[in-house]
Amino acid sequence: MADLSELAKTIEKGDRDAAVKETEKALDAGVSPEQIIIKGLQVGMGMVGEKFSSGEYFLPDMLLAARAMKASLEVLKPLLTRTGMPTIGRVIIGTVEGDMHDIGKNIVATFLSGGGFEVFDLGLNVPNQKFIDAVREKKPHILGLSALLTTTMPNMGRIIKTLEEEGLRAGVKVIVGGAPVTAHYARLIGADAYARDGGEAIPVCKKLVGK
Amino acid sequence: MAMTHRERILATARGEKTDKLPFGARIDLWYGYHKAHGTLPEKYRDWSLVDILRDQGAGILYRGYAIVKEKFTDMEVIEKIDGPYTTTEYRTPIGTVSKKEVLDTSEGVLVKYEMEKLFKSAKDYPIIRYVYEHAVPVDDFATYHRMKAEVGEDGLVGTGGTFWSPVQRVMREIMGYEVFFYELADRPAEVESLIEVMKDLSRRKLELAIKSDLEIFNICANWSDDIHTPVFRKYFIPWFQETCDFLHSHGRLAMAHVDGEMKRLNPMFKETGIDVAEAITPFPQTKVTMKEFREQLGDGVTIWGGIPSILFEPQYTDAQFDDFIKNMFREMAPGYRFIVGMGDNLPFDGDIERVGRVVELIDRYGRLPLAG
Repeated sequence: MADLSELAKTIEKGDRDAAVKETEKALDAGVSPEQIIIKGLQVGMGMVGEKFSSGEYFLPDMLLAARAMKASLEVLKPLLTRTGMPTIGRVIIGTVEGDMHDIGKNIVATFLSGGGFEVFDLGLNVPNQKFIDAVREKKPHILGLSALLTTTMPNMGRIIKTLEEEGLRAGVKVIVGGAPVTAHYARLIGADAYARDGGEAIPVCKKLVGK
Repeated sequence: MAMTHRERILATARGEKTDKLPFGARIDLWYGYHKAHGTLPEKYRDWSLVDILRDQGAGILYRGYAIVKEKFTDMEVIEKIDGPYTTTEYRTPIGTVSKKEVLDTSEGVLVKYEMEKLFKSAKDYPIIRYVYEHAVPVDDFATYHRMKAEVGEDGLVGTGGTFWSPVQRVMREIMGYEVFFYELADRPAEVESLIEVMKDLSRRKLELAIKSDLEIFNICANWSDDIHTPVFRKYFIPWFQETCDFLHSHGRLAMAHVDGEMKRLNPMFKETGIDVAEAITPFPQTKVTMKEFREQLGDGVTIWGGIPSILFEPQYTDAQFDDFIKNMFREMAPGYRFIVGMGDNLPFDGDIERVGRVVELIDRYGRLPLAG
């Protein structure tokens, strides 16, 4: 079995070009895309997540790691489309209405993709109804809401309330995050979970889908 | 005779002892939102921001204005407005760059966000450098004097020659944080060359702004330790040292609007030479308590802030609000080099009457030195 620790290290270092090279090397050596993701990318992202949670890594490190992982996934995508990699769960994610901030949300989306989730990113400044319509259409396991402003955070509670009113709440787990958001606030508005950062999002989301 | 709000704030900023805690309140987010939506409280309908704060008895931090603006020469600047969206094109002899901004009234009329940054790809570097090399500083002292007269002895106008430091402008305004870090990894020389152009512009703007009588210059804003820490020592500190030397040589003070998570930045703050850390936002909105801010920033820096925005919101009762303030006073004892303020603004759903509560609490518990 090819050693994928070098690929994991390229993700840890945020080296996009090296990540692509190591991915191609692994494929040439006959390693399956699924194993490349599980033993290479997810291990690398796990290391990055730990370092971010411990304070050793910062957001730029996460951004570069996410970019490296995305580049590797691009190499694997055509092969995954053919073989169809089973996903852990389906996630809709977006930054709430009135909020133009998306760095954290983008990192979480990439982490979740690399972590085996199928992610639909609605972008930023997403109207509440768009979240509701997306939940109705795509029937995700998880709805992820991001806000960076105390003035836009209230939209999270409104979205949860609308999900209840439209009979959609029971079918989806809601996870919230963003700089002003806290675990206490998440409980207050009836969310199922809160994640402080991209590193935390993966284990929390895995728990939400029972993995 | 009792000190005025302005005197108390300035004295504290300079490190002088005063009779009681100064309070420099900022409510432009709340005011702008409710003014735009026609929802100012009945008693304040048609009142100005300054008069509302006067009525509450608070000192005033009057922000949202630039004392020096930029005029772009040797190029065509075309602005297209479409509802809340403004697209600005800079057509230079060597190419065109553009940005798109939205004026978002969910926060009131004050807040403009860049939806599309000026920088799109590496081919934009020479054009953007051209744009800012050909930017000429132009003063707006008339507005400054009008605002200063409006505030009078009740507070200060918060502005500076340059609202964001040169590197922060590249990071946030020109590229966006994500693209900045990608570019810094892929093309560091180009990024640093652009930063140098922005530094030159900032120097020219400060040389003009110093001709005003502004006492405290805001020289940067909006740090977050998870974003800025890796680049702070290399790109921020030297610039701040240069700027502070310049301002201090003219008898002025430097201030930074530090409303984000500062835990890993605080240890480096003292190296900057900045005199005032404004919009200090403590726990529970960030990870740092006021006691930790004081310990980490040291006694040579004036802390301005301390009341997290969320404390003004209905989820906290009046009793919880009062307890927070009283505890903050205990944490900050003896209380010198401390100006009470918001971290960083009164939010749109905040209670304006709590501004008056702070005034009362200062009168009851805020005489200096504070009891620990």
